[in-house]
Amino acid sequence: MKMIFRQMKRHLRLNAFVVLTLLSSLLAADNSPQVTLDVSKASPRSVEALTQRAIIRDYKFAWANLDSAFQSNSAGPLNGLFAGTANAWLKEAVSSQQSSGITLHYLNQNHKLDAVFYAPVGDVIELHDTAEYDFEIRDGGKTIHNEHAIVHYVVLMTPGADRWVIRQLQAVPLF
Amino acid sequence: MSSSINTACKSPSVYGALVRIVFIFVAMFSVAQDAPFRVPTDAVAGQGVSIATTGRGSATFYLSGPSISLKRDVQLGQNIELTAKELQSAGRYVAVLCAGSCSSSGFFVAPGKPAVLTFLVHPSRAPVAVNDVISGVALPFDQFHNLVLASATVQFQLTPKGSAPTSRSVPTRDGVAWFRTSSGKSAGALQISASLSDLVARRVVQQVASDPCNLRIKGQRTAKGIVVETEPVRDCSGNPVPDGTIVTFTAKNGEDVSFVDAPVKQDVARATLLAEGSVVVSAASGVATGNELRLGGK
Repeated sequence: MKMIFRQMKRHLRLNAFVVLTLLSSLLAADNSPQVTLDVSKASPRSVEALTQRAIIRDYKFAWANLDSAFQSNSAGPLNGLFAGTANAWLKEAVSSQQSSGITLHYLNQNHKLDAVFYAPVGDVIELHDTAEYDFEIRDGGKTIHNEHAIVHYVVLMTPGADRWVIRQLQAVPLF
Repeated sequence: MSSSINTACKSPSVYGALVRIVFIFVAMFSVAQDAPFRVPTDAVAGQGVSIATTGRGSATFYLSGPSISLKRDVQLGQNIELTAKELQSAGRYVAVLCAGSCSSSGFFVAPGKPAVLTFLVHPSRAPVAVNDVISGVALPFDQFHNLVLASATVQFQLTPKGSAPTSRSVPTRDGVAWFRTSSGKSAGALQISASLSDLVARRVVQQVASDPCNLRIKGQRTAKGIVVETEPVRDCSGNPVPDGTIVTFTAKNGEDVSFVDAPVKQDVARATLLAEGSVVVSAASGVATGNELRLGGK
């Protein structure tokens, strides 16, 4: 009898774990940045379908990692998809956050990318990102700033061995 | 009736109280919304700014920017000084001032003047006489590595070896200027420069011979076999092909076919074929084929 009871308990725990894992993954999927890319204005080179998919994938991961880095005050997530100036700036920002105790949150991200320049040999692409997100600044547990922001970014990406990396991420008032 | 009178008598005081409460809330809300400070409207990267504040007492000032996040105790009514170092990165900044409640305001920092010209040129080696094979992309950045988006004209100059330079002016669009050109007829270094005001970036593209063209071979039978060699191997523009270019010699004797690959060395490729009897020798390199050479048996 005790054995059956123990087994039932174990099953219940296992089921609860599976349900929680599924729920958390579903929630994570919902919170991941949404990215669309329009390449109709790209010149002088046209953007190949495979490249489009890679850029969308890597840009999405990059923003998810950026949010994670600013939420957790850790520069670790910035490695891999940010390089050069973008990497240096973001790491500086995270480093200064660590000393000020501030955290940033980019929630419900939606990025509308337009490719405006793609180099003749495909070694650099310039994107215009009209980003929409809920931006929060927190000091400790207290929210000190909260806005639904629409921000325009000029983005330079270059191809790496197996991914596209962001080299410049510069917000501008208008394109 | 009395009740309605009473109500009528009570109403003004209740409404008055409600109006007062609403007014206080609106006033508080508007105070919270109207930032008690004024953010800069024309900030430039690497230049300090002052943020004027109103009111009295102490407050906490926060600034979040592309490469900075700071928290500072300030006195209301005094200016908040942001140093040049704190505003080096172009982009969007959010300033927050908390004194009881928090007020915030965003502002942009624009890039400074171009100080660095990034110049990407491809390829480093280009075959001669090929259309649109050489391209260059120039991106101006300020001294803090902000991409300069204001339009500026970049002068591209191409100087082939032993020829007069050619140049073209290209205005930047979205911070990028680019060109594409064909390679020249002669092998040698092609100097390419991009200049913007007093900034100059130089690159070199080595123009090399294209594929071999019109192979000619000669040969003779010796005691060791058939010794064949090409005449100087050149491309269709007359440039000698680089050493190491492979020439394949083929010897046919009826059904027997033998091949020998030989690299070009000092313009000429040589090989010894071990074929007996009457043979037909030919040569090929890339898509070019040469004349046939008929040699009789011993």
